Amino acid sequence: MILKLILSRIITGLLTLLAVSLIIFVSTEILPGDVAARVLGRFATEESKQIFRQQLHLDRPVPERYAIWLSRVVRGDFGSSIVNQIPVNKVVGPKLVNTSILAVYAFVLYIPLSLVLATLAAAFRDRPVDAAISVLSLVGLSIPEFVMATILLILFAVSVPIFPVLSVIETAQTLPDAIRSLTLPAVTLAIAMSVYAIRMLRDNLIEVLDSEYIRMAMLKGLPRYRVVLWHALPNAVIPALNVTALNLAYLIGGVVVVERVFSYNGIGSLLVESVFLRDAPLIEATALLVSAVYILANLFADVMAILLNPRLRTA
Amino acid sequence: MAANPLQPRSRPLWRLGVCFQQIQRLPPTLTIGGAILLVYFLVGFTARFWAPYDYAEIGTGIPFSQSSPQHPFGVDQLSRDVFSRVMLGTDKELFLSLTSTFIAMVLGGGLGLLSGFVGGWFDEIVTRLIDLFISIPILIFALLVITAAGPELSGSLILLVIVVALVYLPRIARMARAAAIDLATRDFITIARARGESMWSIVWREFAPNATGVLLVEFGVRAGWAPVLIGTLGFLGFGVRPPTPEWGLMISENRNAIVAAPVVVLAPMLALSFLVIGLNFFTDGLARVLGRSARRSPL
Repeated sequence: MILKLILSRIITGLLTLLAVSLIIFVSTEILPGDVAARVLGRFATEESKQIFRQQLHLDRPVPERYAIWLSRVVRGDFGSSIVNQIPVNKVVGPKLVNTSILAVYAFVLYIPLSLVLATLAAAFRDRPVDAAISVLSLVGLSIPEFVMATILLILFAVSVPIFPVLSVIETAQTLPDAIRSLTLPAVTLAIAMSVYAIRMLRDNLIEVLDSEYIRMAMLKGLPRYRVVLWHALPNAVIPALNVTALNLAYLIGGVVVVERVFSYNGIGSLLVESVFLRDAPLIEATALLVSAVYILANLFADVMAILLNPRLRTA
Repeated sequence: MAANPLQPRSRPLWRLGVCFQQIQRLPPTLTIGGAILLVYFLVGFTARFWAPYDYAEIGTGIPFSQSSPQHPFGVDQLSRDVFSRVMLGTDKELFLSLTSTFIAMVLGGGLGLLSGFVGGWFDEIVTRLIDLFISIPILIFALLVITAAGPELSGSLILLVIVVALVYLPRIARMARAAAIDLATRDFITIARARGESMWSIVWREFAPNATGVLLVEFGVRAGWAPVLIGTLGFLGFGVRPPTPEWGLMISENRNAIVAAPVVVLAPMLALSFLVIGLNFFTDGLARVLGRSARRSPL
C-alpha cells in the first residue's frame, strides 16, 4: 500500500520532469526564432545557414528534434556551448560543486536559525519577544534577496570589513578562508528561507502547545523548556517539512540572485550569463538541472510526509 | 460587538472624530500599509510635475556625490540626480506590478474558477498543467520566458508584464480552483442549481461575489511580490532598458557606489522595500478584515 503510493509519486515526479524538459526545449530551441541567423550573424549567406541547420538537425520537424535532443540529454550529453564551443558538462560540473557547497552551508545555517526563533516566538507567545520576531519576519519577507544581500555587503564588507566583497572560493587557501568568503551569501540565503519557516513553525508550535497532552505534561510538573523542546517541537516540525521543500525552491531562485551579488562562480551566475548570451545548450542544462533538483526535493518531502504521517497513507 | 470595519458608511462620515475612530478600529497593518501605499500613489502620479531633474538628465552634479540639499539622494555614476530618478520610477514600478498581477488575476482566476466549477476531464487537464508549470522554480521560469521571447522584445515593458503575469497565472489558478471547489459544495450553489439557473448566471451571481474575498487577498499577496520579481529581473539585467528609472536596475547600476556614496544605492533599495512592506501590510490587514467578516457570514 505504502509502496504503491510512493511509487506513484515517483512516477508522477518523473513524468513532470519529462514535461518540464519539453517546456525548456520549446522555450530555448523553438520559440526564440532562427538559431542559424542568430549564431552566424546578419551577413551569413543562405547556403551557410542551410549547412548549419543540417549539422544541428534544425531542418527536421520539431517532434523529431525533441526526440534527438532528449535521447542525448538522457545520456547526459548537452552538447557544446554555442559561444565558446566548450562541452556543457565541463562548464557545468565545477559550478555545480560550488553551488552545492553554498547551498549546504546556507541550509546548515537555516535549520538552527528558524528552529530557535520559532521556538522562542511560540514559547513567549504574545509577549515582546514574539512581537519582535513576528515584525522582523514580516519585514524580512518584504525585503528582496538582492536588497538584503547588498545591505549585508554594505554592513559587513564595506563599513566593517570582516568579510570579503567578492566571494571567490577558488582562491581560498584554507578552510577558514573559504568559510569566510561564503558566509555573507550563505547568511543571505538562510535569512530569506527562515522568514517563511519561522512563521509556519511558530503557528504549528502554538497549535501543538494548546493540545491536551501538552497540558497534561505541564500538569505533571515537567519544566516548561522540557515540554516545549521534548513534547511539542517534534510534532510541530513534521508539517514544516513541506515548507522546507518549498524553501528549496526559494533557495534555488535565491541562489541565482545571491551568486550575482557576490560574484560567486556557481550555477546561478552561469544561468544568468547564458540567458544573456542566449547560449541555448547552457540554458537547457542549467534550467533542467535546477528544475530536477526542485522536483526531487518536493518528491522527497512528499515521501517523507507519507512515511512520517500514517494518516496520509490512505489518501 | 465591535463595529464592522467593512461598513464605515453606516456612520456619519462627515464628522471627522467619528471617521478617525473608524480608522482606529481597523487592523493597524491595514492603516499603516494603506498610508504607505497612498504616499507611493501620490508620488507616482505627481512626481513628473515636481521632480527637480529629468530621469535621463546627465551632468546634474559630480558623480557619486553624497547627499546634499540639491541632491537629497546623491548623484549616480552618470551624474544623474538619484532623487528624481527614484521618484520618477515610482509610477513605472506601480504600473508594472499592478498591471501584470491584474492580467494574471483575470486569466488565472477565471481559468481556476472555471476548472473547479466545471470539473471532469477539463479540470483534470487544467490541474495537470498548473502542477507542471508550478514545478518550475519562479526565477527559472521567468528566465525561460525571456529566452523564448527572443532578442527583439528584450528590455520592453510589455515583456516584463507578460513574464510576471505568466509566472503568476498557474499559481493564482490553483488558488482560484481550490476556492471554486470549496464553494461548489455549499448549499446555496446546490439551491441555485436546483432553481434551474444557467451556469453563466451561477458563475456570475453566486460564485463571483462569494469568491471576491479570497481573490482580493490573493491579488494583494501577488501584487506584493511583483515588485520583488520585477526588481530582481531588473537587477539581473533582464528588466527594462536603461535609462528607464527602474529601482532594481538602479540598484545594480549604482552598486559600485556603495563605498563612495552609499545613499545612491540605499535610496532605490529603501523605495523598493517600503513599497513591498506597504503592500504586504495592507494585504495582511485586508485579510484580517475579511477573515473577521467571513466568520460572521459564510464566504
